[in-house]
Amino acid sequence: MKTKLMGLGILAVVILAAVAYVFISSSQTVTEISGYVGGEKIGFLEDEEVTRILEDDYRLSIDYAKAGSIDMITADTANRNFLFPSNQTALELYRQINGEPVKSEIIFNTPIVLYTRSAVAQALTEAGMVSLEDGVYFADMVRLAEEIEAGTAWADLGLPQLYGSITVGTTDPTKSNSGNMFAGLLANTLCGGVADESNLDEILPRLIQIFQKLGYMESASSDLFDQFLKTGMGAKPLIAGYENQLLEFAAENPETWSQIKEDIVMLYPTPTVWSSHVYIALDEEGAAGIDALLDEEIQRIAWEKHGFRTGVYDTPTDAEHFGVSGIAGELTQVVPMPDADTMDQIIKALS
Amino acid sequence: MKRFKRWMVLFLACLAAAAVFGGCGLGGSDAQEADTVLGSGKEVLRIISGSENAELEPVLETFAQREEVRIEMTYQGSLDIMRLLGEEEIPYDAVWPASSLWLSVGDTNHRIKHAESVSITPVVFGIRRSLAEELGFVGREVSVSDLLAAIQNGSLRFCMTSATQSNSGASAYIGFLYALLGNPEVITREDLQSERLKTQMRELLSGVDRSSGSSDWLKDMFLEGDYDAMVNYECLIIQANEELEARGEEPLYTVYPYDGLSLADSPLGYVDQGDEEKENLFLKLQEYLLSEDVQNEIQRTGRRSGYTGVSEENRDVFREDWGLQPDRVLSPIKMPAADVLFECLNLYQTDFRKPSLTVYCLDYSGSMVGDGNRQLTQAMEQLLIQENAEKNFLQASEQEVNILIPFNGDVICTYTAVGNGSELESLYDEVKNQRVGGGTDMYAAAAAGAEMLKGYDLSQYTPAIILLTDGQSGGSLYDFEAVYESLGLDVPVFSIMFGEADEEQLEELAQYTNARVFDGRTNLTEAFRSVKGYN
Repeated sequence: MKTKLMGLGILAVVILAAVAYVFISSSQTVTEISGYVGGEKIGFLEDEEVTRILEDDYRLSIDYAKAGSIDMITADTANRNFLFPSNQTALELYRQINGEPVKSEIIFNTPIVLYTRSAVAQALTEAGMVSLEDGVYFADMVRLAEEIEAGTAWADLGLPQLYGSITVGTTDPTKSNSGNMFAGLLANTLCGGVADESNLDEILPRLIQIFQKLGYMESASSDLFDQFLKTGMGAKPLIAGYENQLLEFAAENPETWSQIKEDIVMLYPTPTVWSSHVYIALDEEGAAGIDALLDEEIQRIAWEKHGFRTGVYDTPTDAEHFGVSGIAGELTQVVPMPDADTMDQIIKALS
Repeated sequence: MKRFKRWMVLFLACLAAAAVFGGCGLGGSDAQEADTVLGSGKEVLRIISGSENAELEPVLETFAQREEVRIEMTYQGSLDIMRLLGEEEIPYDAVWPASSLWLSVGDTNHRIKHAESVSITPVVFGIRRSLAEELGFVGREVSVSDLLAAIQNGSLRFCMTSATQSNSGASAYIGFLYALLGNPEVITREDLQSERLKTQMRELLSGVDRSSGSSDWLKDMFLEGDYDAMVNYECLIIQANEELEARGEEPLYTVYPYDGLSLADSPLGYVDQGDEEKENLFLKLQEYLLSEDVQNEIQRTGRRSGYTGVSEENRDVFREDWGLQPDRVLSPIKMPAADVLFECLNLYQTDFRKPSLTVYCLDYSGSMVGDGNRQLTQAMEQLLIQENAEKNFLQASEQEVNILIPFNGDVICTYTAVGNGSELESLYDEVKNQRVGGGTDMYAAAAAGAEMLKGYDLSQYTPAIILLTDGQSGGSLYDFEAVYESLGLDVPVFSIMFGEADEEQLEELAQYTNARVFDGRTNLTEAFRSVKGYN
């Protein structure tokens, strides 16, 4: 009997507490929206300043699951309010499958770059694939693609400690954006313009060969970059990624960066492509995220702490605070990505 | 969405109250019981991890105590972790496999968040120093072909984990494939069809003395036995050497096969099930593990951590007289794409590896009646019916031999099945149809098993006796020892503890045969699956 009474007492307390919780929390009206996000934007979305502005000024909190930009378009979107891929092809694909989204907007941009180690950069420079102009490294895509297709070994460049032949490590182009965009860029390079129906037949077999050499590929850009930094020159001599990844890393880990900056080199491919981070609202709740993310303060944080360029052809004037040497100003050599149909065929050929 | 959450709280509160009232807990999860519990706080972080991280328990313990939380470590092979990620429910809060490869391949539902590499360690050969010298492997670059030559002429035998159960075994095996295929840029499906490859790989794997389902246990087993070499993580070779040196025994010399090297990057990732507090606790743990001091501590366990390589103060851990090369540029082979990788693993399981010779001694004593017998039948169904076994890369090969010895107070009968066809599957009928009753004498059964092994050339097989028992056994270890001694061979007796089995008796038997005891009391099928992964 006694235990039964005690049980009743506990029950009463629990119910009271729950009622109180429901009551108190209803006085706040923060809406949680949820969506799929490319891995490279997680640092930004988890930024305390960003989450605070979202909550205080926009009454929003953003929950996310990490997914590749292409993957997320076909993923199960029940209970999701938005998609936040890293290119406009994803938006085009979305339109083809689902029609016009509730709303969409480019939030910020970052160019595709290559990352390598100083010894490799030096070897590539000596071999004429890379040049240094005003402290900025540029990689000649045509020359690089030639050597990759020719199967030139690292050892031929004077790097016998590296296994195998020259390749650019990328994420899986069928799953993730940076790999996908690099595939688009390579396709452009191979045809000497912008890849489309007219030249696809010629370049697809070559593209397939280049990607086959890579074997297993990571499915997220952030994982690939993390491995590039941690596993050292031997495992990932040369990878494709976003400019913002290094800027963000340097801003977030200034001490670590100062220890390794002599060895890490960022190369701008010529030409390169822009990764445009486009926000796709799936419903009205999700649409609220667009205004919030375009907030002036949030946009400033996006550049200063996370390295995203906030305006399509914006030239950063204040890049010193990153402590990263060799950040390009205005990027003049940029090509558009192949259109969605062409990319779709490229993805299919590579999967 | 928020409103829904509030009602959930109310609902959960009522459930909780009902539970208090009814005097029973909320439904339990399918999680295996943790292998190690660190700290004693109320908040819990359940981590499923590769066994090599057992060496980091002191580091985790410090965190658990400081934060007053509990960390529950469950150790499984990386491939098991990969499979788990594909399941509906993941009864853990974090995953920590040996390599991010298994995360990427397994996490098709995008439930893993915040994955970051904690440390790096290459998969290497550790060879008894004097033998390494004799083979000319000291002070020079060694290729997989050099190792293969030594294996072919019989001067090198080694232990390695199963390629279909553990990352270190899989990595080494993929490295072998590359070398035998003449180091292509990447392995393709067509490459795998080569007859020459088959012959050479079988030859290479015939050099495997003992196998294991886990890297950490391989190291323990190595230290208990008398073997020449093992394939394992660099950090575990270092740990083995520390132990060998403390005992005054000969250390292992580390050989990095330059054309078949692979790296384990030890990613720790969060399983996102929408619990914010858990997520914060996870992030706190991750931050702690990646902090400079702890990274340094982790480096002192022989792992390569941080961004700047092995520090001056930790060079004493990576000893050059043990063949370690802290400054080596680790240039690994490329892992094949997922579909090719699985094809490689299938070939290993069904064709390339030494065939298993497994003796199942199964308890049919009276106490097994009812539920015990039902669980046993279910577990064996997972191993013997090949369609089930295949899901866990446990399928049999054509040359494989399986022997069934049901026992009670005596050996009831013996059945032998060769290959992976109908003979094997009909063993399952025998398992199902045995009558239950009588006493328990596991020693008699194990001795009968050993007796049966006499009829085989054991160098051609990976032999093991798998013994399941649920009660105090009659008879004595001496009965078994007499037969085992006369056999003069190195065959492990793995046992599965069930019901009221006497742990001490089983441990004694395991120690005597350099094997280990598996706990089948919470999940018998899981225990059988794990133990089968050891041969």
